[in-house]
Amino acid sequence: MKPLTFALRMKRASWYGIKINWSAYALVLPFFVPFSTFTMVAIIFGSYISLSDWGIVGNPTWVGLANYQRAFQDEYVIKAFVNVVKYAAIVVPGVTSLALIFALYVNQNWFFSRFARAAFFSPFVVSSTVVGLVWVWILDTQFGLLNQYLVKLGGNNIPWLTSTRWSLVGVSIATIWWDLGFSFVLFLAALQEIPREIIEAASIDGATGLETFWHITIPTIKPNIRLVITLQIIATLRIFSQVYLMTNGGPSSSSVSVIHYIFTEGVTKFNLGYAAAVSMLLFGLIMLVTIAQQLLIREQA
Amino acid sequence: MWTFHWLSSRTKQILSTGNLKPIHIPVWIGGLVISIMWIAPFIWMVSTSLKPADEVMTKQIEWLPRHVVSDNYRKIFEYPVGRWAWNSIVVAVSSTFIGVLFGSMTGYALARLHFPGRSFLFSILIASLMIPAEMTIVPMLVAFLKVGLANTYTAMILPHTANVLCVYIFRQFFLQFPPELEDAAEIDGASKLVVFWRIALPLARSPMIAATTLVFSSNWNSFLWPLMITFTEDMKTMPVGIALFTPVVGAHTQLDGMGPAMAAVTILSVPGLLVFLLLQRYFVEGISHSGIKG
Repeated sequence: MKPLTFALRMKRASWYGIKINWSAYALVLPFFVPFSTFTMVAIIFGSYISLSDWGIVGNPTWVGLANYQRAFQDEYVIKAFVNVVKYAAIVVPGVTSLALIFALYVNQNWFFSRFARAAFFSPFVVSSTVVGLVWVWILDTQFGLLNQYLVKLGGNNIPWLTSTRWSLVGVSIATIWWDLGFSFVLFLAALQEIPREIIEAASIDGATGLETFWHITIPTIKPNIRLVITLQIIATLRIFSQVYLMTNGGPSSSSVSVIHYIFTEGVTKFNLGYAAAVSMLLFGLIMLVTIAQQLLIREQA
Repeated sequence: MWTFHWLSSRTKQILSTGNLKPIHIPVWIGGLVISIMWIAPFIWMVSTSLKPADEVMTKQIEWLPRHVVSDNYRKIFEYPVGRWAWNSIVVAVSSTFIGVLFGSMTGYALARLHFPGRSFLFSILIASLMIPAEMTIVPMLVAFLKVGLANTYTAMILPHTANVLCVYIFRQFFLQFPPELEDAAEIDGASKLVVFWRIALPLARSPMIAATTLVFSSNWNSFLWPLMITFTEDMKTMPVGIALFTPVVGAHTQLDGMGPAMAAVTILSVPGLLVFLLLQRYFVEGISHSGIKG
């Protein structure tokens, strides 16, 4: 069937004349040129840079895999990769579960649910600078809002951003607040797709709210849950702005992320070849996550 | 029941049928409290920005300032905030305009026109979603330094001119668009380009607003790339310039305290939040489209 369809299409195209082909390409070209330049060409150029010693002055020299060798022995690279996995371990469950609970609440269409929808989504539209600064202020050890309430409840001041023990958690809290809106909207859209009749039929059959949730809601939105988890893992592995703004990776690299390390090496120290090699390693990790997710889907199908 | 006109239809249904169960009340109150807590950081931000310096760094929780002053707002204009705002407007408006225009053209071609290479193009668009933009920052920095375009508007705009999300939103819309109007125009002898420009695009109002709001918001908030590619104070965008108010990055806050910093982020976030409240529906629509790809 495939070759026949193709032949028919070609016939149709030539029947209308060259004009049709030409106009389709004219429509696509302005997008395609920057698209291919800033993704595919940039990736190829990046892998070339990663195989050379490329500073700001002088000519680049070919060094083969030396940058990668160095990266595997660099304790800061290892630290940065361990940290982004830790970030993902806190942020992904946090965002996914809260976004689902909030979406279930708003989907009930109760009093003020329109206000709640706007409230849960609103942090998503502000810039990382706003998120970073506001949370630096809220998480301040001495005068921060969170610690003052903690003390009122009988707790102790926690040095959220200034201790090696807590800095990663502090940045994660701000990240959950910022990232939640996107997943929340995806869940809400999925919940609204579930036909009301199914839910009503279940309740007529005597199913409780919890039974409906486990046996109807969850199985129906399972693909959306998987999508949210995958997107959130990838987003968290790429964490940068919050780290840069809130702790600048510190204290003593306790909250440093991979992109933050690439930024430091590439922009601050101009070790461009090395920074490109670390980018490629992160790219590899993200590819692994994507492939693992695809395999998981195939296995279940 | 006219007094309840502001309640949602489901609430009315529950109240009128007497189906109100005891479980509903705590769930309702809990939801309300949590949604207020969720926007509390914004309230705290605005409140701090209006306080005089000696009321900011205190151990009392005061949600409303005792004295409302504009000191903090006056202070931040000692820095080139106006210039940063202008840079942000130039960069965000031009990259959004170009991005939406090119995106709508490609989205239309992918949904409507048959041409060799169409399915190949669509599959590389999907594949490109796996390539995070951050992977390409080092080669892009090198390239822009080499051609001498670093620290310019061009460098900040160009990489944002190809927006895959725009293509998705428009493709999705045009796939469901009835073909009769276009067919009529074609019989009259109009070319596909004219049909797109004169008939299809003017009717694509809803995806246009959805794509524009979403893309503008992401361009306006763009941080890493403008941070890397600008070297001088006068080329910084708002988010990058105002980042100088964070204690760990810049020195401004150590000098002035958190008051001016909160004034700066209030100026940066309030316009965006207002636009969001007005166009909320379109944000949601755009994001739901981007979720379809999974």
